[in-house]
Amino acid sequence: MLKMTHLSKVYRTEVVETYALRDFNINVNEGEFVAVTGPSGSGKTTFLTIAGLLETFTGGQYHLDGVEVSNLNDNERSRIRNEKIGFIFQAFNLIPDLNVFDNVEVPLRYRGMKAPERKQRIMDALERVGLASRAKHYPAELSGGQQQRVAIARALAGSPRLLLADEPTGNLDTQMARGVMELLEEIHREGATIVMVTHDPELAARAQRNVHIIDGQVVDLAEDPRFHHAVHAARANSPA
Amino acid sequence: MLHIKPILVALKRHKAGTILIAMQIALTLAIVCNALFIIDQRLDRIARPTGLDESNLVIIRNRWVGVTDEATGPLIHGDVQALRQLPGVQDAISINSYPLAGGGWSTGVRVNVDDKKSKAHTTLYFSDEHMLPTMGARLIAGRNFTPDEVTDAKANAVDTPAVIIITKALAHDLFPDGSALGKSVYVSDTKKPSTIVGIVERMQVPWNSSWADAWAENAVFQPYVLMYSGNVLLIRTKPGQQDAVMKSAPEMLFKLNRMRVFPKENGVRTFANQRESIYKRDRGMAILMGVVCLVLLGITAAGIVGLTSFWVGQRRKQIGVRRALGATKRDILSYFLTENLLIGTVGVLIGALMAIGMNLWLVTQFEMARLSLAYVAIGVVALLLLGQGAVLAPAMRASRVQPVEATRSV
Amino acid sequence: MFAYYLQLGLRSLRKNPLLTVLMVMAIGCGVAASMTTYSVFRATSNNPIPNKSSQLYVPQIDNWGPEEAAENKGEPPSSLSYTDAINLMRDKRAKRQTALYPVALSIVPDDMNMLPFRENSYAVYADAFPMFDVPFLFGGGWTASEDNAHAAVAVIGRELNDKLFHGANSVGREINLNGRTYRITGVMDTWNPEPMFYDPVNTNAFADPTEVFIPYTRAIELEMPTFGNNNCNKDPGNGWDSWVHSECVWTGFWVELPTKADADAYRRYLDGYVAEQQRSGRFKWPKNNRLRNVTEWLDFQKVVPQEAKVSLLVSMGFLLICLVNTVGLLLAKFMRRAPEIGVRRALGASRKEIYTQFLIEAGAVGLAGGVVGLLLTGVGVIGVSLVFDPQIARLAELDTSLVALTLLVAVLATVLAAFYPTWRAAQVQPAWQLKSN
Repeated sequence: MLKMTHLSKVYRTEVVETYALRDFNINVNEGEFVAVTGPSGSGKTTFLTIAGLLETFTGGQYHLDGVEVSNLNDNERSRIRNEKIGFIFQAFNLIPDLNVFDNVEVPLRYRGMKAPERKQRIMDALERVGLASRAKHYPAELSGGQQQRVAIARALAGSPRLLLADEPTGNLDTQMARGVMELLEEIHREGATIVMVTHDPELAARAQRNVHIIDGQVVDLAEDPRFHHAVHAARANSPA
Repeated sequence: MLHIKPILVALKRHKAGTILIAMQIALTLAIVCNALFIIDQRLDRIARPTGLDESNLVIIRNRWVGVTDEATGPLIHGDVQALRQLPGVQDAISINSYPLAGGGWSTGVRVNVDDKKSKAHTTLYFSDEHMLPTMGARLIAGRNFTPDEVTDAKANAVDTPAVIIITKALAHDLFPDGSALGKSVYVSDTKKPSTIVGIVERMQVPWNSSWADAWAENAVFQPYVLMYSGNVLLIRTKPGQQDAVMKSAPEMLFKLNRMRVFPKENGVRTFANQRESIYKRDRGMAILMGVVCLVLLGITAAGIVGLTSFWVGQRRKQIGVRRALGATKRDILSYFLTENLLIGTVGVLIGALMAIGMNLWLVTQFEMARLSLAYVAIGVVALLLLGQGAVLAPAMRASRVQPVEATRSV
Repeated sequence: MFAYYLQLGLRSLRKNPLLTVLMVMAIGCGVAASMTTYSVFRATSNNPIPNKSSQLYVPQIDNWGPEEAAENKGEPPSSLSYTDAINLMRDKRAKRQTALYPVALSIVPDDMNMLPFRENSYAVYADAFPMFDVPFLFGGGWTASEDNAHAAVAVIGRELNDKLFHGANSVGREINLNGRTYRITGVMDTWNPEPMFYDPVNTNAFADPTEVFIPYTRAIELEMPTFGNNNCNKDPGNGWDSWVHSECVWTGFWVELPTKADADAYRRYLDGYVAEQQRSGRFKWPKNNRLRNVTEWLDFQKVVPQEAKVSLLVSMGFLLICLVNTVGLLLAKFMRRAPEIGVRRALGASRKEIYTQFLIEAGAVGLAGGVVGLLLTGVGVIGVSLVFDPQIARLAELDTSLVALTLLVAVLATVLAAFYPTWRAAQVQPAWQLKSN
């Protein structure tokens, strides 16, 4: 589904070159739920933005759903984002001027869908996250957890092949975080591929597979005893 | 206390907005300067004195029907005699034209009979010895015509009179040393001299257009009653009798002879009406330019308020950080005021050049004078003040940002 | 998608009503100022006789010499002397030709209770009517033989016919002009070319319509002086005969030359005519002729008032400032929504879609500005009478084409102003939102 080989990302300023990712390799299979972990500044958010075609990369290759994306133009990248990828952001990123219904509608609009189908999909997605009754509310009228569920509905409405989540529970209290996490697991069980960036080991433990990034490179946890113990401990403590 | 350097650094990051505000100030200055200049020129023109005693003056444009020019003599004398006897009338004349009439006679005047070129250009006014008192002209030297000097003249055969009265401006053009009184001059192509017997303080030419600007107060009064089928009756009424005479004079004239026409729109009018209609364009132009200036300044001020508000909104966090680091409200306020002053200064510098350039171009295209730098100076000060005034409200809002905003995420 | 973007645009505009009102008013004022002054400019620079403006010409002949011409930028006088006009009429080298000049004619009604009144009147030759495409309600112009006979005939205007004959066919009836009777040969339908191209020299080219035409030959025979300007470089001497045969210039002259070849031939003829005058000793200087068509003539006569040009220029500058202002405000407005743009981009909006969305929003502002501009233009057109003479002011009107132009200019100008802010908006990176948190 998602395959990066020898990928690198360099931020250049007038004075320095900073490698955000270097010789980065990852392979996520269809239907997998992968958690990407790592310390602050390790490059995990860079990875996600590149994975989501929000940013270009400097070197290497990236195949998304079998397509090499490095040569695509802005238009084609937009189209892929719209059709294949669903985003769930830490800060929800709902458009405050639009109500819940209109927010979920945004990606469907760019797909040029007819109104009845849009409406069907929006209501289905909202139903799914349990917020169908709040369709006419504005983001500011909702709690953080509800806002994130709207964001998830927005990501789901377009039936993407790949869901990218960036600290989806980072701005939520424990109770709400649990609800959101359960929702993601449910979506995964229904067949979606999910890549989630988090620094919370407990959340990471609930994914099928963990990928750890340090200094812009993937570190194999299985071969690194320092982390082996921590991960297993977290998995043991997780309620699921 | 001005912190110019950090402001410049910050402005570099808002290039587009900075350039837009500077450009708007520059363009506004260029247009406002020129508009102010046009306004002032027009007002100056309107304020020019005619030399007439303008109140209590009624003008009747008369046109005889079915009468040859030669035959108008007795009719005109009859009209004038009757008018002088009309209740409410102080004096009356038949004349060829008058200041601000729009059309009249013009010619050159030579000092020596052999001169090839005329020494000065002038208009000619023809009427009898009642001309100066009726017009309200002030004789400053010499004397008025005597009744025996006045003769009738055919319009297409005007001779040169032995005596003339001229205006001070013309006297100065002809004899700069001030010795005009008693001298002889040659009006038009004639070989016959005319002696200057009187000098009048001022009398404007009939034209308001710029071609006569150079000799706007050059007039020669000649003691002729012109026999012409299109004459002007100038009536000086007694104070307060103007409206009554406006009604009674035409009625009386028609009773005297109905074979005449007063033009529909401007046949009978007071001098005040005439002045208003002649200067209508100038006054209108001044009003138009005034409105444009005001709206323009308003829009520019609004634009500055709008963009500065946006910047303040964008920089709330940064302002919060500054406040947290010890900046006082005054510091924040002066930051934005200084910022605006810097942009404004660049704007007015460019604008001043544009104003002068625009004026130079207008001078080549239209009959316009060179822009006086005083207008540019006034414009510069006005726009800088406008900018400071406009930025005050958003800057005050910025200064009220609490230090705690530093900790908030966007 | 258009409806969606429009809806988004309107929603966003409602969100900052103050900023929106500011932009709409700025555009409205700018457009209204330009359109009002343009309406005057359009009226005064109108082509009064579009079908023939390149076939009708005014010949100018320098009968005064270079010294006088130097005072007028080297141009020969704008009118002809009677001598030259009559010679040109006699030679008849154009398809049609007429000398013309304004005369002071008063109409004396038969009804003794009615007072005489004046109407704008011209003395012309018979060719003038077909040359100027004068429309006739009844009858027509007089004939060339009536020109030669100095006949007492007249063509009158529709309004005068309504006044004197209550609109009846008055052809063949008599009219008393200045105490003499004339036989009416034709009644013109309303004919008021604006600018009044055939005589800008003696009018400001915007005058009340001409209601009476009489034969030029008749006017000369009756020794009618010009009611317009008479310019002499020398004292013409005393009496009618010496004036008419002097070098004073006061008569207009028009020729009809249908093709360019005709015009060239006429130019050669004029050169030949001047050469003849030089040989006879009348002109002691090199030839200095002009042959201008209607458009060139109106331009040369500066028919468009200076005020119309200056105010059009100033208001264009005004519009420019309003647009710069709009660029700034739109930039502020759009960039304030950078987060939203980031999200939309992440959710799959291409740059093109961002462009479209914001240009449509700008278009909505422009349209609203146009509507405000339309109202203000309406006010402005009424206010035109403040600046211009009534004859010009009444020409400025808010017709369909001006309405359409106002809206078009407003929308186009605003969309143009929106290009830079929109470009900036489209540059917002989709990743931006993710990182800044």
